[in-house]
Amino acid sequence: MASYRKKALAIAAAASMSVALAACGGGSDNGSKSDSSSSGNAAKGGTLTYYIYAALEHTDPQRTYVGRDITNWSRTVYRSLVTFPISEDEKVSTTPVPDLATDTGQSSDGAKTWKFTVKDGVKWEDGKPITCEDFKYGASRVFATDIITGGPNYIITYLDIPEGKDGLPIYTGPYQSSAEGKAAFDKAITCEGSTITYHFKKPWADFPLAVASLHMMDPYRADKDQGDKSNYQIFSNGPYKLEGAWDKQKGGTLVRNTNYSASTDSADIRKALPDKIVFDIGKTAEQVTDQLIADSGADKTAVTERRIPSSYYSQITGDVAKRSVTVTSPYTDYLVPNFNRLTNLQVRQALAASLDDTAWVTAGGGEKAYTEATDIVNPAVKGYQEGLFPGGSGDPEKSKQLLQAAGVQMPYPITFTYPSTATADKQAAALKAGWEKGGFKVTLDGVANQDAYYTNIQKPDQKADIIWAGWGADWPSAITVTAPLFDSRPNLTKNSNGQDYGAYKSDEFNALVDQAQNATDLDQQTQLLQQGDKVLAKDVAYIPVDTAIFYFLHGSGVKNYMNTAASNGFPDLGPIGVK
Amino acid sequence: MSLPESQLERLETTVPVDVEDPEAVLGKSPTQLALGRFRRDRLSMIAFFVVATYVIGALLAPLLVKLGVIDPLTLHQDLLDPALGSIPKGSWGGISWSHPLGIEPGVGRDVMSRLWYGVTFSLTIALAASLVAIVIGTVLGIIGGFTGGFVDSVVGRIVDLTLSFPQTLMLLALSATGVALAAKYLPGNGSDALPNGFYEVLVLGLFGWPPICRLIRGQVLSIREREFIDAARLLGASKMRLYFREILPNLWAPVLVSFTLTMPAYVSAEAALSFLGVGIHPPTPTLGNVLVDSINYSVADFTFFFFPALLIAIIVVSFNLLGDGLRDALDPKADR
Repeated sequence: MASYRKKALAIAAAASMSVALAACGGGSDNGSKSDSSSSGNAAKGGTLTYYIYAALEHTDPQRTYVGRDITNWSRTVYRSLVTFPISEDEKVSTTPVPDLATDTGQSSDGAKTWKFTVKDGVKWEDGKPITCEDFKYGASRVFATDIITGGPNYIITYLDIPEGKDGLPIYTGPYQSSAEGKAAFDKAITCEGSTITYHFKKPWADFPLAVASLHMMDPYRADKDQGDKSNYQIFSNGPYKLEGAWDKQKGGTLVRNTNYSASTDSADIRKALPDKIVFDIGKTAEQVTDQLIADSGADKTAVTERRIPSSYYSQITGDVAKRSVTVTSPYTDYLVPNFNRLTNLQVRQALAASLDDTAWVTAGGGEKAYTEATDIVNPAVKGYQEGLFPGGSGDPEKSKQLLQAAGVQMPYPITFTYPSTATADKQAAALKAGWEKGGFKVTLDGVANQDAYYTNIQKPDQKADIIWAGWGADWPSAITVTAPLFDSRPNLTKNSNGQDYGAYKSDEFNALVDQAQNATDLDQQTQLLQQGDKVLAKDVAYIPVDTAIFYFLHGSGVKNYMNTAASNGFPDLGPIGVK
Repeated sequence: MSLPESQLERLETTVPVDVEDPEAVLGKSPTQLALGRFRRDRLSMIAFFVVATYVIGALLAPLLVKLGVIDPLTLHQDLLDPALGSIPKGSWGGISWSHPLGIEPGVGRDVMSRLWYGVTFSLTIALAASLVAIVIGTVLGIIGGFTGGFVDSVVGRIVDLTLSFPQTLMLLALSATGVALAAKYLPGNGSDALPNGFYEVLVLGLFGWPPICRLIRGQVLSIREREFIDAARLLGASKMRLYFREILPNLWAPVLVSFTLTMPAYVSAEAALSFLGVGIHPPTPTLGNVLVDSINYSVADFTFFFFPALLIAIIVVSFNLLGDGLRDALDPKADR
């Protein structure tokens, strides 16, 4: 049921990259990494094809917010101050290393001030050096929220710029801003030679993680900026550059950037082996899987972000299986009870108790498609707690007891809203069966128009009792999971529930978020967030259902194929080679 | 979604009264003659029995579901293999004594029950849409053909306009709004069977009538010149009487044939629309939505794909043969 288009939000970082060895009867139908990267050392050269299904909404670094794109651009065209290295070790690949900066940043003043120094000799694709001012300009674009839309905007709330009457910063971006806003911004980010300093109004202990996970702090050349017209422009500072223009419907081709110097970079971040990388947009999962199974021509050196559809699993055997991997993705699906309707705690507890998670996973295609989730925080993200929810196939008896104790009529009628697809309809039917055993009467409301799905579930007056949603952490910390989803203050307004779809409101939770955001120490922050998550579980603010499994196939000519935490579970373009 | 016109144009001849026929001497009515001809046509009789079987099955299905003989909704996930994409365990799509046509991948619902119950929904949709199309087509055809002149050309232009609409596109583009609107006045929410089915019927019917209208108009043009019409006119019959008491009874043959040819077109249209995401969604089964779900499994679980496709093919072919047979029987002069 997962669609990785999510909405304009959060799909970044953090992934658990355990290569799940298939549990089925000792078979070797599951490729492990050693199988797939057939010969140890790949050479330079060749063309890599990357199949993508849906058109990219942006290629502008400050507007990129889709996990797959963030990592693809990191490895090819957009370098950041710090980034995540190539490694199959999850710890290593979620620890930032210097990229355009000389180190991973120095903080002072209780993590309120961060300082980076830009390396010497780093250049744009036209040969001009990347300066501190370019970084400053890049960050300034995030403030133009009416033009630079769709991207992450954390720095708006963190950067030390006074707020106007509307509660928004007085600085409104490089295109049009008051002199006083401009002055405030110039004070908040300062350049001394090649050293850039960021001043925040509250502590940002995991700032380097945020920089490495997103492209919002990337440099941008002022003379190349045309505002919204730059949406599909790629002005590179990495080993590749765009050949011609990006075609929204078809994709584009990356070729080598002659002004890139590998000496300023590290082979731990990008090996840049293929001469060309072709992004091919528009093929469905079925088409891509058929082509990759056939493995001929350009498909021999192709990778994809499309998961193998469950109807194809029985064809992934023998040699084809050696070219497949299963990886736990950073995306978690969850259900939110609508607090405007399900006001009784025991009813919500009954919903959680009778939820048949096993049936949900089976209906979704089984163990290679999903794994049961017991926390909304992904296992690879700091703040994950095992067994926060029961999972498994549910306890209908307990559910009935809870409903009885609540003193409501049985069967208790509820409506379940979800985005309707062939698979999702089956998953919903599976949940319905479980809930009805537990004393509910379920009406399924599958929404066929998926583009408007999130807009619809944000409406405060919606009629759904329980709502499906999906999320991936922006960087590997629960601060980018529970806080943006359940803190009622930034979310709930008169016309919209924001990302708090169930209109959950808890002072206890909000207070813990405040404490966590002001924590100067990462461990302390994590502990506070875990406490907050426990509050959510106690109130049944959400019920986690699954973590998506990425089951990918690639061509036989692809070498060093990896799905790392740094690449959000998608094929990592850093090490990959085709010769 | 509408009938190919070539199928209907061949009907544009009047029902003959054939005095040369030796059997006519025995004093049989035209209906008896037609029935006799139909009975002698083996293929048509087979088609008739197949269609009758479907119809009886469709009528029985709701009762059987109530009695629990067939069960299209209960999940049997224990019979699935979660390691292989949740396809049924064992070969042949999980066929067993309790599930004679196997079970659905993912949820394990009984395929035979779903198809059986699906026939009920598919035929209901096809029947309702055919009725809408035939009623509109016949009424406008009679009015246009009988009145002639300005009214006729207005009807003719409406026909042209309707035919020139990109109907599939319209159906898709308007489906969300249309279904939401239907859900306002009908019980159930936007994903329930009733509003979705209602929308589908309405649109299929509203776009399906023009060929029928043209056919009926042609027939009416020749009937209105007959003496009995002049007689009725001279006796001062009202327009309503002329339309529906004098002309309509003479049109039952082309109407019946159009009906038997519209039905299969709408059964396949329902399947095609399911593929495009319009119409009744699962868990309520229709032949179309069961087939659509099975297409992806054509390799992994062939039996699951095979049975719905077979059932749709049989009913479409049977209805078409029945229609052809009826036409031949009612109109022996039509060239073959």
